[in-house]
Amino acid sequence: MTTSDKFLSELINRLGQEYVSVDSLEKLVYAHDFAALPKFVKLLFNTTPDVIVRPKSTEHVTEIMKLANEYKIPVIPRGSATWGFGGTVPVKGGIILDLTGLNRIIHLDEKNGLLTVECGVVWEDVIRFLRKTCWELPTYPSSALSSTVGGWAATGGIGYGSLKYGPFVKNVVKVTAVLPDGRVIVVDDNSDPSLSQLFGSEGILCVFTELTLKMVPKNEAEMPFMANFSNFANALMAAQEVLRLTRPHSLVLRTFGFVRTKDYVESDAYFFGCFNDNRRDVYEQYLKLDSIVNRYRGYLVPEDEARREWEERFYTLRIKKWGPSILGNEFIIPVHKILDMVRYCWQLGNQAHLDVEVEVMFISKDEALMFPLFLCDERKPIRYLMSAAIAKKVLDVAIKVGGRPYGYGLWNFPFMEIAEPEKKRELERMKSTLDSQNLLNPGKTIGAEVMLGLPLPGKLYSTFMDGVWVLRKVI
Amino acid sequence: MFIIPKLQLEDIFACAQCGYCVKKCPVYYFLGWESTSPRGKMFTLKEILGNNSRLDEQKIHKLGKPLSMRFFNCTFCGLCKEVCHVEVDLLEIWSKVREVLYELGIVPESIIKLSETVKQSKNIYMMDNTSRMDWVTYTGADVNFKDSAEVVYFVGCITSFSGRVQSIAQAVSSLLNYVNEDWTLLKDEWCCGHPLVLSGAIREARVLAFHNVEMIESTGAKRVVTGCPGCYLALKHEYPRLLGKKPKFEVLHSSQLLSTYITSGRLVVPKSDITLTYHDPCELGRISGIIREPRVVLQSVTDTFVEPEYFGRESICCGSGGLLKAVNPSLAESIAQRRYGMLASTNVEVIVSACPTCVQTLAQTATTMQNGKRVIDLSQLIAERIGLM
Repeated sequence: MTTSDKFLSELINRLGQEYVSVDSLEKLVYAHDFAALPKFVKLLFNTTPDVIVRPKSTEHVTEIMKLANEYKIPVIPRGSATWGFGGTVPVKGGIILDLTGLNRIIHLDEKNGLLTVECGVVWEDVIRFLRKTCWELPTYPSSALSSTVGGWAATGGIGYGSLKYGPFVKNVVKVTAVLPDGRVIVVDDNSDPSLSQLFGSEGILCVFTELTLKMVPKNEAEMPFMANFSNFANALMAAQEVLRLTRPHSLVLRTFGFVRTKDYVESDAYFFGCFNDNRRDVYEQYLKLDSIVNRYRGYLVPEDEARREWEERFYTLRIKKWGPSILGNEFIIPVHKILDMVRYCWQLGNQAHLDVEVEVMFISKDEALMFPLFLCDERKPIRYLMSAAIAKKVLDVAIKVGGRPYGYGLWNFPFMEIAEPEKKRELERMKSTLDSQNLLNPGKTIGAEVMLGLPLPGKLYSTFMDGVWVLRKVI
Repeated sequence: MFIIPKLQLEDIFACAQCGYCVKKCPVYYFLGWESTSPRGKMFTLKEILGNNSRLDEQKIHKLGKPLSMRFFNCTFCGLCKEVCHVEVDLLEIWSKVREVLYELGIVPESIIKLSETVKQSKNIYMMDNTSRMDWVTYTGADVNFKDSAEVVYFVGCITSFSGRVQSIAQAVSSLLNYVNEDWTLLKDEWCCGHPLVLSGAIREARVLAFHNVEMIESTGAKRVVTGCPGCYLALKHEYPRLLGKKPKFEVLHSSQLLSTYITSGRLVVPKSDITLTYHDPCELGRISGIIREPRVVLQSVTDTFVEPEYFGRESICCGSGGLLKAVNPSLAESIAQRRYGMLASTNVEVIVSACPTCVQTLAQTATTMQNGKRVIDLSQLIAERIGLM
């Protein structure tokens, strides 16, 4: 019996056959996340997992981690795999820990508005559950129809409602986490490690299994809005004034640049969002919005149309159908640099001959989460690979103007050193303390490894992508 | 080699892998593994596409039965298509894949049996097709067999042969008589072919379509009414594609016809204080878009009509769609129990649906529960309220 056979039989003994799969089809579909992997990636990394496990409890996760330590096998935690930075893609095989089976809503503390859920609960289920109560979620991701609570805690934690109520981390009271050695800890703001240290650590430090979330009392009124503008600059200025004079729950700005129509320079734009408050405040804010939109020569669309747009808020990728593939990146950027960045995205799109959609979600008066999408076609592998460098180009400039990536995972890891060196040091320190064998989601966020455990230097990766971009021009 | 038509090929690549379909899928809900989800299946398809937009036969053979089971463990409820981020017509893709698998002979044993049965006996029960009208004797219904009529009542296999739901045929017949409709049954009705389309046996389905259209057109009927959403889908949407031409008759589901009778005043239903909930059959509601009409009918009966959790376009399958009951009966049963639980939790007296398969499945589930609710078809409800049954 080989080591891997022994490991597998012990895994099945401890968990039960129904929670473990080595089926070849299963391995195929768990070898990727949201993003389409260029073929060359499979030459660099072993993206095929050895086994997939679907734990049903914190105890199961503990068992798996202990066994992985014993046999020195990597473990890759996975929620709904809706993050596009390769966070759940194995780089040297290992165990995929599919956490979607931990999907119970455990308890609602009606008095204090605290909701305890398992990590694999999908946000939409939480929203649906709360409809019957007097509480609502302060913030939730734009992929709420599929992403999990634990997945969002491990990644960015910025979404709808973050503008008014802050990021996800500010709306969590405590979490139960399993450390790489299998220990179970309860983490809050005052523990060591603390919530803010583990939040957004992209599954390299721990596996969240239970989370207690802060709710907000249901607002008396909710008023979605949407305004169209004939050019992006006006839309942006109007949006900034909306931020200054009102308190929207969310505010999202979108614009498109189309190669085919050469509609880059004077592309139109729109923003949409929602006010939620007591009836009178919502009404007053809406009046202010109306006058701002008028001042910037925009058009405030009728309420039913705005409501439809708001209901469509989770469908940000509708445009992908015209690709049929997309390339893009997500980063946080100072609000005063949005216009420059959008223009740069148009410029890049023009150079690469790709249509662009740029979405900007405001997260405060000063910062926004920007999500440029470039439409391309993965069926043309050479061109797709050449265009893939666009995701790096756009991030280079975003960092130069004071921005930082929304996530690192596998694709953005070289940028952490430049964008957030202190955070990187802190993560490295914690990684070596908590996971000395480097078993939990290895080769991500703070450094990558290619086949045979060889490190992939960030600079080499960056130079390669720059070379690809130059080559694209030549070809 | 099987060539995927251009639009469907675009769709396979357009799939955003966002996972909106994953959580909604009633099959994934119980099986839980990614490969059983619509997203997983779309990714698998992308991987087995060879160059030049062809499905790689060798890869399909290599993956064999496990691959086939993924595509047949599906209720064809269309919820994946409904929530799709990029509006991919997933049902069209699933149909195409089943067609390919059928052609290659990589389908579950039960599917081969079913298609053989329909081919031989012209019904899904392997019964002598001349016994198709036995329900008339069993129920004592007053029916017509005319050479020509305005309306043809297409009964369908399940309503004709399954004892539990033959009363639906009795109800529809009595209602047609009650409003003095000029109607007839077909003298030689064959299976509508929908089960064969779902099996991937398109050529065989075409034979049935041809026969049924010929029979209906020979009566000179302008309208065909059926109480079965599967038959409705076949007659209305699948026949034009199978035959390459639009038949010369209009197709209506019984709920549409009843709604027209009620709104035009041809049918007056006495109101009562009965409490009801309604289960939207997937093929009728979400797939065919008939959501309003059954509610018009229900609201004519009572003011205490309660919508269940997940209704209309969001409705959840009863578990018997897509031939799942034949392929994986225990999974179908689990899905039925889940849906029945949602309907029963409305605490109404009667659960109503507008599909013999849904009624049969949910009623069967109700018998396994303590204090199981009564489950009936919409036409039965109306016939009963008027005093025809």
